[in-house]
Amino acid sequence: MSKKDDDILRDKIGKMLADGLVTQTEPFPEDNHQFELILKELRQLDPQDLEQKLVISGFIDKPYGEDKQRCLECMYYLVHRKWCDLPELAVPVEAEWWCRLWRI
Amino acid sequence: MANLLWLQGGACSGNTMSFLNAEEPSACDLVTDFGINILWQPSLGMELGDGVQQILKDCISGATKLDIFVFEGSVVNAPNGTGEWNRFAGRPMKDWVRELSAAADIVVALGDCATWGGIPATAPNPTDSQGLQFLKRDNGGFLGTDFKAKSGLPVINIPGCPAHPDWVTQILVAVATGRAGDLALDEFQRPKTFFQSFTQTGCTRNMHFAYKVSATEFGQRKGCLFYDLGCRGPMTHSPCNRILWNRVSSKTRAGMPCLGCTEPEFPFFDLAPGTVFKTQTVMGVPKDLPEGVNKKGYVKLTGAAKAAMPEWAEEDIFVV
Repeated sequence: MSKKDDDILRDKIGKMLADGLVTQTEPFPEDNHQFELILKELRQLDPQDLEQKLVISGFIDKPYGEDKQRCLECMYYLVHRKWCDLPELAVPVEAEWWCRLWRI
Repeated sequence: MANLLWLQGGACSGNTMSFLNAEEPSACDLVTDFGINILWQPSLGMELGDGVQQILKDCISGATKLDIFVFEGSVVNAPNGTGEWNRFAGRPMKDWVRELSAAADIVVALGDCATWGGIPATAPNPTDSQGLQFLKRDNGGFLGTDFKAKSGLPVINIPGCPAHPDWVTQILVAVATGRAGDLALDEFQRPKTFFQSFTQTGCTRNMHFAYKVSATEFGQRKGCLFYDLGCRGPMTHSPCNRILWNRVSSKTRAGMPCLGCTEPEFPFFDLAPGTVFKTQTVMGVPKDLPEGVNKKGYVKLTGAAKAAMPEWAEEDIFVV
């Protein structure tokens, strides 16, 4: 995808979240097994089903929890591209967003 | 001339294969240039049956001086402590090992199985395997905590799955040329010259480690393998990225995570499903952090590193 395409899709996701898309922020995967179960769900989706991808992974458009976790510190986040590099997600994101596949 | 005897217990012969790939010095150089007389070795020895038995008996009786005893593979104690599941030259291997260790000037445990028990000793350890002087992290093993070879040295542990040929040949040369006393050993009796630094030392992915860029698939040239793919390089003591394999590469350079095979716990997490090639996390934070780093420091460092990340760190910079 080009940078322009990334920006368009990021804006689209931002609007979906701002408009109140309810996603599954809980339960947070405590260990690898639970993490893998979420990945399995994501792999079964139609790759074009953006909304379900966001719902299952628990996207929100602000930091989460007491520690204010956010994409910026997540190891899958590419700072300059503003991109989530987790293969099962692979979507443009904002640094201040968060999802429950957050890992550091 | 230093007499060397090499036996295999619960082993796959991987360390012998590695040793035979040695180049500088080669296995032949050890004989011709460094005065090592190989009394017998499973892949090199010419004697069979009674002939082997006689060599072993002569070493034990003192008729043949045994300078270096190399043992590869675990000591198998099953069933019921008899060692009958691993017989060699007419009796349980473990009986040979005990008597030969007592007769030798220097005892070398080669490879993970001989050092800590390795894969055979993985729970539930059906062969009741032990390393020569350790069982995983616990000192003791088959020969016991107090064991010292005739030279006064404990078992010299050269771990690895397998050990790099240079680790083996250089220690054998040191021992054969009378410099065993110069070998500084760490708490797990590994020669510090090889096992003081980390696998990560010299890793070509260190810049990606520093800026917290993760490799997310095997074989990717960009990204660090520690964050997602279970690489144990920052916690493992080995010179794999200083003394390269086949002189050209290492696991991490080839896009393959370090398995931590020179550490006593190998294989980690008892090979439970989902633990191999996957970084184990608790609430999103790695269970095992780089040695000496605490969780709070790690979280702070990650925030700072991400904030400082240059654009090139996100790209594959190894252009063909």
